[in-house]
Amino acid sequence: MESVTKPDREVRVEAKPRDTSDSHETVFEIAGLTVTYGSVTAVEGVNLDIRSREITALIGPSGCGKSTVLRCLNRMNDLIPSARVGGKVLYHGIDIYDPGVDPVEVRRRIGMVFQKPNPFPKSIYENVAYGARIAGIRDLDGVVEESLRKAALWDEVKDKLDTSGMALSGGQQQRLCIARALATDPDVLLMDEPCSALDPIATLRIEELMLELKDEYTFVIVTHNMQQAARVSDRTAFFSIEVTPQGRRGRLVEYDRTEKIFTSPSQKETEDYITGRFG
Amino acid sequence: MPDVRSHFHQELERLEQAVLDVSDRCDRMIGMAVEAVCAGDLELAERVVAEDNEIDRIYLDSHDRWIELMARQQPMGSDLRLMSVILHLNVTLERSGDQCVNIAKMAQVTEGLPRSERIVSQIREMGDLVRPMLRTAVHAFIRRDAEEARLLPAMDEPVDRINRNMYREVVACGPDPKLLEWATRMMMVSRALERIGDQAVDIGEQVVFLVTGEYHEFSEEAFLGRGGGD
Repeated sequence: MESVTKPDREVRVEAKPRDTSDSHETVFEIAGLTVTYGSVTAVEGVNLDIRSREITALIGPSGCGKSTVLRCLNRMNDLIPSARVGGKVLYHGIDIYDPGVDPVEVRRRIGMVFQKPNPFPKSIYENVAYGARIAGIRDLDGVVEESLRKAALWDEVKDKLDTSGMALSGGQQQRLCIARALATDPDVLLMDEPCSALDPIATLRIEELMLELKDEYTFVIVTHNMQQAARVSDRTAFFSIEVTPQGRRGRLVEYDRTEKIFTSPSQKETEDYITGRFG
Repeated sequence: MPDVRSHFHQELERLEQAVLDVSDRCDRMIGMAVEAVCAGDLELAERVVAEDNEIDRIYLDSHDRWIELMARQQPMGSDLRLMSVILHLNVTLERSGDQCVNIAKMAQVTEGLPRSERIVSQIREMGDLVRPMLRTAVHAFIRRDAEEARLLPAMDEPVDRINRNMYREVVACGPDPKLLEWATRMMMVSRALERIGDQAVDIGEQVVFLVTGEYHEFSEEAFLGRGGGD
């Protein structure tokens, strides 16, 4: 496993063999997570444990900080100069914000799929092989095929691997992006509104794919679509916006099993949101 | 609190109102059916059958609107629980109406037979016990009052007791075959009223589910040490 050695010390994000047991160990322990962009607090005081081989959905109104929290899980907020992350994000017990941790390795173990499909302007094969090649994987043909099969795309593209990934339909492009993320052998896939640009059938295919893959991978998905969260996730975290004298900030209201959240939530705020009684 | 699903919530209220309308009709039907069978009033028995036809019409209409709302609105949280409870109440009340028809038909088939005033008085007593049960169940539903709903098992006990003892009353009628035929029909009336009592208890269990989000039969609740402790 690759890791960056810092002058003072080195922290390895271990490439654990994927857990295939019946237990669902904790992948992420998020404690007191607060994120600010300049003087604006996006989200404050989030405590959340995310379990392995489950699909965890983050839901809530626009501006509640759910995407911000998602981006903290693989240090994507590092790319925003004004972003400051407080609190702890432990991945298998390791603080991913420890100065000794290599963010590139973090992102290899914890992949991300974005709202808009964003294949590279390269062939289908190269889209998938790109990350694997950088990760030092030698059997690229094998990895490309395996990743495309897992992403339920192989049968549709196996005879045109040299054509541009940009020529695929929106749904196929998103599955190509999932295959690209899988090619680096991640442990976790973060999905930020992965279906919002897709038609209903393509959306259902992505959801089916997540359900098929969750025995091997841990998913965290941000979605505005409550029905999607209800359909695919095992657990759901509801975020809301708190108006304070210092401004509006996101906070975690309730986190529970999905069936509980959508049939009998504990918090009135959650109930009001899922039944549409909010402004 | 602004409601961004006001159209859906209005439809849901209308659906709930239809269930309450049926519950009012059931309440009246129990009284009419018991009176019809106890007084041998065949005209009243026919009105029970006609009223049940109206309940069936409302039931089918509510069922169609329920399916449409589920398909279109995909309710969640307390809305989902209310939809579930409305479906259950719709079926339960429709069956209560059917039980009233069963009772009313007994008035028709026992016409001209001798009767036992002792059994008649017990049938009337069962009717007087069952109607408040249905009203309590529906009132608890309207008020979303789990504690009121948990009163129902205790209210059901005397109904069960009278029903259990009814066969002794039938045997006590003696060897007169005509009287025995009438009394045997009254066992069916007793059984129908006992079923209506059970259906009121079922509604109570649904009310607790609506309020708490947890479904247990009351007998199970007592076993688990929850609820009213009866």
